[in-house]
Amino acid sequence: MITLNELQHDALVEIFNIGVGQAAASMSGIVNEEVTMSVPSISFLNRAEAAQLLGGKNKLDQLQRICGVSQHYEGAFQTEAILMFPEDKSLEIVRLMVGESVPLAELTEMEQEAMSEIGNIILNSCVGTLANLFQRELQGSLPVYHVGTSEEILSASGSASDSVVLMLHIDFILEMHQIHGYVAFILDVSALHDLKEQINLYLDKVMGQG
Amino acid sequence: MSMDANRTGLLEGVLAAVNLGAIVVDGDCRIVLWNRWMERYTGVPASETIGRDFFSLHEDLRGKRIDSAITQALRSNFPSVLSQTLNKSPFPLYADAAARSRDERMQQALAVTPVDVAGAGRHCLIQISDVSIAVGREKLLRDQAMVLRSQTFSDGLTGIANRRHFDVAIDKELRRAKRYGNALSLLMIDIDHFKPYNDHYGHQQGDQCLIKVASALSGMLQRSTDLLARYGGEEFAIILPDTDAQAAHMLAETVRARVIALDLPHDQSPGRLVTVSVGIATMNASDQYDVPGLINAADRALYAAKRAGRNCVQAHVTTPA
Repeated sequence: MITLNELQHDALVEIFNIGVGQAAASMSGIVNEEVTMSVPSISFLNRAEAAQLLGGKNKLDQLQRICGVSQHYEGAFQTEAILMFPEDKSLEIVRLMVGESVPLAELTEMEQEAMSEIGNIILNSCVGTLANLFQRELQGSLPVYHVGTSEEILSASGSASDSVVLMLHIDFILEMHQIHGYVAFILDVSALHDLKEQINLYLDKVMGQG
Repeated sequence: MSMDANRTGLLEGVLAAVNLGAIVVDGDCRIVLWNRWMERYTGVPASETIGRDFFSLHEDLRGKRIDSAITQALRSNFPSVLSQTLNKSPFPLYADAAARSRDERMQQALAVTPVDVAGAGRHCLIQISDVSIAVGREKLLRDQAMVLRSQTFSDGLTGIANRRHFDVAIDKELRRAKRYGNALSLLMIDIDHFKPYNDHYGHQQGDQCLIKVASALSGMLQRSTDLLARYGGEEFAIILPDTDAQAAHMLAETVRARVIALDLPHDQSPGRLVTVSVGIATMNASDQYDVPGLINAADRALYAAKRAGRNCVQAHVTTPA
């Protein structure tokens, strides 16, 4: 597994925080309320570890339903990006954003669409900052909405099970509600090496200017 | 050459036939395609849109989410979706003349995607689909769920909203008021000397008193958005959306007078009648209230009314920090 030193790690966290900051600004514009988002930490995991992180420690928790919005990106590197929240949290987010409470235990069709839009805004912003880092353009697919166990969602992309997951922890704050979720980038090993290289180039540039 | 010509003809035919709105803008945001579906539902022919700047045609969309979605498609090559729920009907599309005369826009879902055109650089395709049927179906589902829910949301004794209903409603109305910058008023109403009433007349008559007061108050509310709830034992609350301090005060005085008009004898009360004290809190657009803050303000006003001798109305005046 790849490891980043502290400097590289911090640089990547900072880059993603800029990305979700832009996403939060777009969402504030939609709802006319302050939306705050931050990325407190990131980690590199294999897929099984990632599924476990989302699902929880014991077997029963791992069957918990997760809501995911995924987009495929390719160009400078190829990745499946997935925004994930436990299903009850996704209900909370959408209903906070929409400002109406629906007494139903699942997202309705229109709410799923709204969740896809929220995912779309967050993923485009995160991938956009990565594209800026690589100074290369990426192409993206339209978002797709999934519900299932964490393992089902992570494998829905059809990526190899030996791929690496770059996991972002995301805090989403709206109207005093704080909701914790994840963005996973499923990367192959070569993309990961490229990423590390780009972080070093970025650091050189930043340090050089400093 | 003729293959190409056939192909262009085919694509034009398909674009005209699809049951979907399609607009294409070039790198400078000029409209280069406006399909027949768009002509039909906007009532604007392609000849009047082609070559025009997208935002000069849709001034109200400048700076909105679709603006950033188009920019993102053209600059960063990323696609975006705009859901009906988060973006209420951005385009002036009408199902028919009747809908147009009512200014009732079609419910829309949008996809904004980059399209690379060989030799002409990057363009942006805006696809619009009509989701009116799904929205209607969900409204029905929601309404039915609300009816079911209301059965667990009413107070067993008086039949008005219970505390749980109040908690959900105040939260919803406060957020709505903040979002749209409207005023919101809250009345806290307490029956004066109710404990002595209960002790003197017995609990059954105490219950009858609560039922009569609740029914009189609920008969006074005119708007479907106003909500009367039983807040606690002999305490009631009225949530008044879009209501400023002055209008809330008028209603509070009417409430007080209405209870006197019930003419319920109360030997343990100085006025020999059942009366109420009312506390008012009003949130204006500039106030930064949260739910506990607003309830607290109304509560304090109610205590002030009690201290002022009961059977009166007091409004909370200072704006909390």
